[in-house]
Amino acid sequence: MAKKKTSLYREFVKGLWDDNPVLRMLLGLCPALAVTNSAINGLAMGMATTFVLLSSSIIISLLRKVIPHQVRIAGYIVIIATFVTVADKFLAAFLPEISKSLGPYVPLIVVNCLILGRQEAFSSKNNVGRSILDALGMGTGFIFVLVVLGGIREILGSATLFNLQILGDWFNPWMIMILPPGAFLTLGILIGLGNWLNERKVKV
Amino acid sequence: MSEIEENKPKPEPKPVEKKKPDPRKKLAKPDKMLILNSSPHLHTTKSVKSIMWSVVIALFPAMAMAIYYFGLPAVWMILTCVAAALGAEIIMNLMKGEKITIIDGSAIITGILLALTLPPSFRLTSAALGSIVAITLGKHIFGGLGYNIFNPALLGRAFLQASFPVAMTTWSNPITPKFENTDAISTATPLGSFKFEKIFTDYSDMLIGNIGGSLGETSAIAVLIGGIFLLILKNADWRIPVSILVTVTIFGSIFWMLNPAQYPDPLFHILSGGLLFGAFFMATDMVTSPITTKGAWIFGIGIGILVVIIRLFGGLPEGVMYSILLMNGATPLINRYTRPRIFGESKK
Amino acid sequence: MNNTAKMIIVLTIITGLSGGILSSWDNITKPKIEYHRLQALKAAISEVLPQYDYYDELEAEGTTLYVGRIEDQNEPVGIAFTTQGSGFQGNISMMVGVDPSFNAITGLKVLEQVETPGLGTKIVTDPSNKSNPLWFPEQFVGVNLFPAITVVKNIKPSTKNEIQAISGATITSKAVVDIVNGNISRIKNLYQSTD
Repeated sequence: MAKKKTSLYREFVKGLWDDNPVLRMLLGLCPALAVTNSAINGLAMGMATTFVLLSSSIIISLLRKVIPHQVRIAGYIVIIATFVTVADKFLAAFLPEISKSLGPYVPLIVVNCLILGRQEAFSSKNNVGRSILDALGMGTGFIFVLVVLGGIREILGSATLFNLQILGDWFNPWMIMILPPGAFLTLGILIGLGNWLNERKVKV
Repeated sequence: MSEIEENKPKPEPKPVEKKKPDPRKKLAKPDKMLILNSSPHLHTTKSVKSIMWSVVIALFPAMAMAIYYFGLPAVWMILTCVAAALGAEIIMNLMKGEKITIIDGSAIITGILLALTLPPSFRLTSAALGSIVAITLGKHIFGGLGYNIFNPALLGRAFLQASFPVAMTTWSNPITPKFENTDAISTATPLGSFKFEKIFTDYSDMLIGNIGGSLGETSAIAVLIGGIFLLILKNADWRIPVSILVTVTIFGSIFWMLNPAQYPDPLFHILSGGLLFGAFFMATDMVTSPITTKGAWIFGIGIGILVVIIRLFGGLPEGVMYSILLMNGATPLINRYTRPRIFGESKK
Repeated sequence: MNNTAKMIIVLTIITGLSGGILSSWDNITKPKIEYHRLQALKAAISEVLPQYDYYDELEAEGTTLYVGRIEDQNEPVGIAFTTQGSGFQGNISMMVGVDPSFNAITGLKVLEQVETPGLGTKIVTDPSNKSNPLWFPEQFVGVNLFPAITVVKNIKPSTKNEIQAISGATITSKAVVDIVNGNISRIKNLYQSTD
């Protein structure tokens, strides 16, 4: 509870860069690697994850004094799984195309350590307001990385961005970018770039 | 080398004279000083630079044959790859704030090796991309020459193979007077035509290089000349190519004897594809192959077995690149387990 | 309240609420999901069969045959069925339409596949072929089923039962053809025995 002194603004903004879930904390790498072969998939995955993160953060923050310590993980998982199933069914019912291209990775949000990690580290210790800000910040940071990752991979791997042709016929798409190795390469380079930028920020 | 260090765990303050019984000395012969210093113990006049340039010279026959058979496109391909490799090397040197290292020749070799493993009609821009990937992701990301795990040229090629799978497997016929039609006709490599259509290619064509294939790998003789030159200069460990070729021969023969109609004979294995080129120029890369002699044998045998398995049972006709890359990955492990025992160390 | 009882009560309430929310949400979304599934099925059937007014479903030995018919005509326009088999990396499932006498294919559409993006996925669409991205599945239209369909490489098909392979994805192309070849006799027998 010593954290109480941090400003509300700080709670939101930390997830964007300083504690960015993917680039700084290396959490939630499975969806970040698996579904980001296009920007739209990255966006959808990021939104679904943010929805689950936000909803479960609210509930768990509200229930933080009710859930007994010994069974908290079980309780969290049930709550998270509920919201994941809601999100999964929602996509299948209203956005069937996206649901099809995300495949099994929507149900797999349950085991995304980003979500459980935030519940354990933050929501279970802070009030609802702060938990919402934290979840929104983390979610936005997650969406940001997934869209950038998906965008880079889509431009280089299919010469399109959000399904719009942006590179001409002269460009030979790099097939590797939409395959799993492309995800690892791009993510590695992004993390390296993030560290490089951070180092410069510290020096200045 | 000349330094004599008593590498004792704790240099105690009281003077420890040699006369004092040291438990470790019981193992050594008496009256001999025990010299303990860290390797390397043997120095040579060879430098990275001299080795690298000798490899460039060794690649001349293969380059000459590539230009003879595939004409001007081969020249452009080699120049593009080398230029892109040098450019990437300079940029990476500048980014890391270190001395420009293009003079050591390693980037030039990477460029040439990559160019020689590409199909003749491959796009030059894509080839340059492969070169840049080879130098940046293959070498400098790991810390530069000597720190890379995988052979940079092969890593660049693997990147291209995954990026442009169709272009990387579209071969054109060599342009020789023998062929009336000098337009680039798409053709299959001997391995490809055997795998998919069970057609054999003439051995004499495979020996001199009058076949479809990557620029530098088609002519077995040219590759052999360069390779033997390297071995004579002792700039490549002879154990590696020998163990690869022997393993492929033995392992290939087993399958051939089981079913000659289904599996090609060992000579075909050796002459076709990039096996000779890979065995002499790629696998022998000093950075990415084991340092112990026992390790070199294991490394070569591993490559040989993988090559035959991929060629006969894999989805691709050729497997030399992946075999070498896989064994590159296993090299640290091989080094660890074939480390010579320190004198007196007990066998487990 | 003692701790154990509290644990049990809290967890029971959470799981109970979760179950309640999910079952009501399922009730809301189920018709929609089912609707999308049916739409996709209808779209696939209409893509592989010639123009029809309605279709009948024939269930036989766990396989569903969709028989497309025109009003007031006795003879159906074609039979569509889903079939699957292994491709290069995983299962390929597709909807195939054939004429009522099982002579030729009237259409083929790949429903699900996990082939290599950019290579094997060309069995669905080929973005590199700007003029006709559907050239691969469209090749099957009019192809004769007996004798078995064969795959040719790099050349245009010369007979009525040849399919040109996708360059770089020969194995996937062959897999599609093999799935058709391997299942067609069974489907033919099924249809003729139920008819």
